Amino acid sequence: MDFMLTKQHEMARTLFREFAEKEVKPLAQEVDETEVFPRGTVEKMAKAGFLGIPVPKEYGGQGCDILTYAMCVEELSKVCGTTGVIVSAHTSLCCDPILTYGTEEQKQKYLPDLASGRKIGAFGLTEPGAGTDAQGQQTKAVLEGDEWVLNGSKIFITNGKEADVYVIFAVTGMIEKRGRMSKEITAFIVEKGTPGFTFGTKEKKMGIRGSSTYELIFTDCRIPKENILGQQGKGFGIAMHTLDGGRIGIASQALGLAEGALERTVEYVKERKQFGRSIGQFQNTQFQLADMATKVEAAQLLVYKAAIAKNTQKVYSVEAAKAKLYAAEVAMEVTTKAVQLHGGYGYTREYDVERMMRDAKITEIYEGTSEVQRMVISGALLK
Amino acid sequence: MKMNIAEYKGVFVFAQQVDNKLSGIALELIGKGKDLAKDLNTEVTAVLVGHEVKDLADELAAYGADRVILVDDPELKEYRTEPYAHALSSVIEKYKPEIFLVGATAIGRDLGPRVSARIHTGLTADCTQLDIGDFPMNPIPGKEQLHNQLLMTRPAFGGNTIATIACPEFRPQMATVRPGVMQKAPKVEGAKAVVEEFNPGFTPDDKYVEILEVVKSVVDTVDIMDAKILVSGGRGVGNPENFKLLDDLAEVLGATVSCSRAVVDAGWKPKDLQVGQTGKTVRPNVYFAIGISGAIQHLAGMEESDLIVAINKDETAPIFDVADYGIVGDLNKIVPALTEKLKAELANKN
Repeated sequence: MDFMLTKQHEMARTLFREFAEKEVKPLAQEVDETEVFPRGTVEKMAKAGFLGIPVPKEYGGQGCDILTYAMCVEELSKVCGTTGVIVSAHTSLCCDPILTYGTEEQKQKYLPDLASGRKIGAFGLTEPGAGTDAQGQQTKAVLEGDEWVLNGSKIFITNGKEADVYVIFAVTGMIEKRGRMSKEITAFIVEKGTPGFTFGTKEKKMGIRGSSTYELIFTDCRIPKENILGQQGKGFGIAMHTLDGGRIGIASQALGLAEGALERTVEYVKERKQFGRSIGQFQNTQFQLADMATKVEAAQLLVYKAAIAKNTQKVYSVEAAKAKLYAAEVAMEVTTKAVQLHGGYGYTREYDVERMMRDAKITEIYEGTSEVQRMVISGALLK
Repeated sequence: MKMNIAEYKGVFVFAQQVDNKLSGIALELIGKGKDLAKDLNTEVTAVLVGHEVKDLADELAAYGADRVILVDDPELKEYRTEPYAHALSSVIEKYKPEIFLVGATAIGRDLGPRVSARIHTGLTADCTQLDIGDFPMNPIPGKEQLHNQLLMTRPAFGGNTIATIACPEFRPQMATVRPGVMQKAPKVEGAKAVVEEFNPGFTPDDKYVEILEVVKSVVDTVDIMDAKILVSGGRGVGNPENFKLLDDLAEVLGATVSCSRAVVDAGWKPKDLQVGQTGKTVRPNVYFAIGISGAIQHLAGMEESDLIVAINKDETAPIFDVADYGIVGDLNKIVPALTEKLKAELANKN
């Protein structure tokens, strides 16, 4: 049991923090207001190696552990929730499944570009009729000769349209399981620019407004046979396992949002005066901050534990689910209180905390809602 | 006041005409009237009201009228409540029909209640089914069961319940009938009917409305929430030009074109035509879902439609779960074929 970060981790954290303060923070408000994907920041992050942190060096990544990657998302999210999720979706939902399930050829082909940030990745699982119930997929893939033909659509895809490489799930047939027919789901790698692969709606969101969330449309989209990821019919397991990792990324984003809001609130209450003294001198403020700080630290320990578990354990679903559930709910609570402690100013867009509150809400919803996390945790308890 | 019910005989229908042209409902009522008359072993009589409309009698005969009563007077050139109500009431008082049917058009809904009040009899509005049968329908001990009554069925409470109504003690039994529900009889060319002219006399008084102007407007954009028939297209339509197929179908049916969110997002149609959770909620009588997969967000906006017809190339599309009728196939082939078939069918009907 050791709660001290190693020297390397400390150095990495300092690097992330400096980058966030210098490159990300000044743009956070503008990115939110204009809803524009921060392409320039992404290019700078690529140069700094932030887009391949847990990818091994032989595939062009940094070869660091998951904790380092989690801290990167955390530090970015302290100043900008949008930037945090861009890194998280790219790393956890696209690089990771290719690294885990890809053939050597696929890894050689895709990972160097992804890890270096020359290309951005995304993950397409959700459909209008298949959110929490991911089995309810309608997108189909049919093998014709040596090509898979995809038809259907995906919604709410983070990094959609901006990304170059997509991990897509589709129904490839029906299989009988315990006397019941169920869908056979398979994962594929689909590249932007493939004929028949287009983008639909851009979602107008409450928060993480610079994150590009698009609908993907597949109309007789033909991809080479070798673009199947993992084995045919193993797609559902691949999706679930990938999301376990993704949840650590989102937990880190939620943690960063909560920490960022807490930091700003502490500064604010020291300066703001009412009744002849700073509002930090009122006991209500003090107790609120104490609760916020305690919950943030509890969340941090859960998130770091899950990050380490991904490096050291074969299965880490429960650790990831607990981390995401708790960190997301703490983020929502802490950002809401941060707005309150800022008073009327906190409700204006001039201050960062209202944006953080809007950004926090999504962490309770995407990559598995809080309710899904509770299903995972209780399922393991009652096995 | 007890009327002598036995005096009343025959089925009469109001043969609505506008601008000396018979309305479709007039022929539908004759068709239905023939069936009722057959059950009662009597004849069907069309009451033709207007000015210089005598030559319409042959058309009424061709569609099955045994007799035409013609009330022709300059005062009846255009529809006005007072002279028309006077004309029909006078016809009823003189000829004593057992049944009197009026189309539930704007004119008929105005005229029917006036006449029934004047004659002091019952009227059922907007009927969708008419039968000859017993009243009460099931015998009730101690209550006489009357035979050969007109049983008038109509939807009530916004279509949530169906009421069957009889008018046992007064004559004629009057109903206004929803257009499009009853079938015309096959046309018999050259058929002739007995034409009786009858004019009760018209004295214009201050109850007579003065018509200043008749405006005939062609409505281009119907609010999709008011449309009775919607032809709705989704992403499967492929491109904005291809919506012409839907426009053609809509034109034949007198329908309005609407669409799914995907179509609005693609910039093919304006947002005010969007059906669904973030668009408009519609409840037409008929909803054609063409190239729409049927995500729940769309279904939420249209599943209350009375009748849903789905056309989609994917047989597993969720739209088929809510559709009453579905065709699996290429809409580019199906929609034009459907349009042609409907065109032919409607030409036959008129």
